[in-house]
Amino acid sequence: MKAKIISLILLITLIFLSFFKVDTESRYEKWSKILLCPVCQGEVIYDSPSGYASDMKIILKEQIETGFTDEQIYNFWVARYGERIVTDTISRNFEIILIPILIISIFIIIFIRNIYDKK
Amino acid sequence: MISSIGILSSWLLFLLLGVMLFTNNLLKIHIYMRLIVFLNIFLFLLLEIGLFIDDFSVAYISNYSASSTPPLYKFASLWGALDGSILLWNLTLSIFMLFYLSNYKISKSNIDTKIYSSILLFFVGYTIFSSSPFAGCVEASNIGCNSSSLLPFQNLVSSQIGRGPNPLLQNHPLMAIHPPFLYIGYVGMSAPFVATISRLALRNSTNEWISTAQKLTFVPWLFLTIGISLGAIWSYEVLGWGGYWAWDPVENVSFIPWLLSTAFLHSAKVTKQNNSLLNWNYVLVGLMFLSTLFGTFITRSGVLISVHAFSNGSIGTYLLIGILLFSILFLYIGSINSKYFLTSKKLNNIFGRSGFFIANNILLFSSAIIVFIGTIYPLFYETFFGRQITIGRNYFDVLVGPVLLLLLFLIIFSIKLPIKDINLKSFYEENIIFINSSLLISIIFLLFFNRSIMFSLTTVISFLLITMIIKNFIKNFNKVLSPSFWSGQIAHLGLGVLAIGIILNFTQSFSQEFEVKSFDNFLFSEKNYQVYDIIQENLPEKTELKLPISNGKVTKYTSLNIFNNSSQQVISSPAIYRNFLYDTYISVKSLNNDAYKLIVRKNFGILLIWVGLFISSISFIPKVKIKK
Repeated sequence: MKAKIISLILLITLIFLSFFKVDTESRYEKWSKILLCPVCQGEVIYDSPSGYASDMKIILKEQIETGFTDEQIYNFWVARYGERIVTDTISRNFEIILIPILIISIFIIIFIRNIYDKK
Repeated sequence: MISSIGILSSWLLFLLLGVMLFTNNLLKIHIYMRLIVFLNIFLFLLLEIGLFIDDFSVAYISNYSASSTPPLYKFASLWGALDGSILLWNLTLSIFMLFYLSNYKISKSNIDTKIYSSILLFFVGYTIFSSSPFAGCVEASNIGCNSSSLLPFQNLVSSQIGRGPNPLLQNHPLMAIHPPFLYIGYVGMSAPFVATISRLALRNSTNEWISTAQKLTFVPWLFLTIGISLGAIWSYEVLGWGGYWAWDPVENVSFIPWLLSTAFLHSAKVTKQNNSLLNWNYVLVGLMFLSTLFGTFITRSGVLISVHAFSNGSIGTYLLIGILLFSILFLYIGSINSKYFLTSKKLNNIFGRSGFFIANNILLFSSAIIVFIGTIYPLFYETFFGRQITIGRNYFDVLVGPVLLLLLFLIIFSIKLPIKDINLKSFYEENIIFINSSLLISIIFLLFFNRSIMFSLTTVISFLLITMIIKNFIKNFNKVLSPSFWSGQIAHLGLGVLAIGIILNFTQSFSQEFEVKSFDNFLFSEKNYQVYDIIQENLPEKTELKLPISNGKVTKYTSLNIFNNSSQQVISSPAIYRNFLYDTYISVKSLNNDAYKLIVRKNFGILLIWVGLFISSISFIPKVKIKK
């Protein structure tokens, strides 16, 4: 019984702590992890050591310091480099998440119907 | 000379395979098989000789090697680009084929020999009709070769200097061994495919094909695991970008066969036990093989932009035809066995042993679907909407992360699976100490680190998994349990450690940039670092600019490597200060007027990731012991 109470207390503490989270990521960090370095091979500017990415980071920093909204930042970069520059495609093209979920659901239904007894 | 001998030997090899395709005499088959392996070894060595004597009349050598290339990288240049790597591919394939014919050949029929020969014939055909590593150079340029011929005895010309391998490939010895491991993994998937297709083509309706395919899958699976791990280690330790996995298309396509073969290794166990899942296992074996062809297609056809897509060739169409042909064969054999597949027993228990294996398969296969869609969607989008998009890592993190976490949770129960439904209450009571201590450790973790739900879930699940496996190991060490059980437990233990490493890395790491000059100090994460003066080293193949940085205890170098002959691409190598919990990872960026830009990262969990991958990679040990 004692052990069960301890489990419960621990679990509640854990859940409480998990939701009590501190978001340390700055907007600059968030965006530099989203923008692709156009001259590198599939790296975002946050990771890229190239000079080009460095210049992009300087512009991005200025934009955030002058108070650009997320939409303005998005429009600025997409106007120059096309949609390819933004890697968090899922936040705008939601179908990209829905397609695999749909296919997986169909797969699971067919799979389960096939292997399990109908009883 | 080397060019002509190579081309003629490739023709001979092709001819021999053609003859083997129509031979039914067992003795002859075995003789031809050994000749084929011998010829593949010969071709491999021939190109190596060419690389070492700098025979620039061979187009491949002048384009992918240079006189100044160090011996190790000359050796590795053979698989440094597409045409040469086909030689290693074919050699590995022929060795797998020899191994298969010597140990698993069907006694009553030669159909497996024929299917295997046609797979090898397909790849040897590429070196004859499409692009050969032995093609002679007929038009040299200042550096390298402009145009080549697939015919022997041409008037060949050679450039004075070779172009040298891709700089990425000559920066670290790990790069020399990472591709061969992956190749063995990829090519090896042909063995279970041939075993399955040929046995089912005979329609003898026994389940022997499943255990044969399972035995043949383990080795390629292991090599794929090691190959992927080596790739991660290389990209982190050598390339200065600070990561180990980028969801890059080429990484993804090596991950898909891994997910599928892992699923098959588990589902085959269910079939062996109760004669169910016949058609499902057939699908998995087929997709395992086809996904390796698809992977090669993605890597080598240049349809996707990626850090790995260094060589575009005519192989794209050729491989597509291959994928199509082998898919038709796979579907045809499947259709003629539809009655046999209907004999597959239905399952009726969801929360027992077989239920867990089913859940494992659903989760692994779903991950493969997610990764596949994420990889090809940009291609699909561009074709239909005419616009380019990029699917970044958050797609994979959002979708694959939870699926694999759920899988990790289910793995906990693999330690002692009941045949009938699992009793969660007694499971809880039996393991209450471990459950409570895992919760406690996770709470301690949460107090010291950035908190999130994924972080706490992963730590609880992983700690529980690790402690329970260790407990089980201590308790049952002297008991004789099946080697495959222990093999599985070791692989699972590795996954537990890996998961803690990944979640620490994913949620806790951060970075900062500094602009410094020689003899400057900088403060990062409350620690002082001292920069010294840059050292320039001129090696025959590259110029290395090394910046010494001390953390007060040790001095390490972060460097920029500028390779001669190649595209002048600069590669940054990091200085890494490691302890159990985190790495301080410093890479140097642009250098101008004696000022250096440093990216300093605090990367958590890296050592745990390497330890986890290592443990999973040695999961074969229990199986080896038993064979003795």
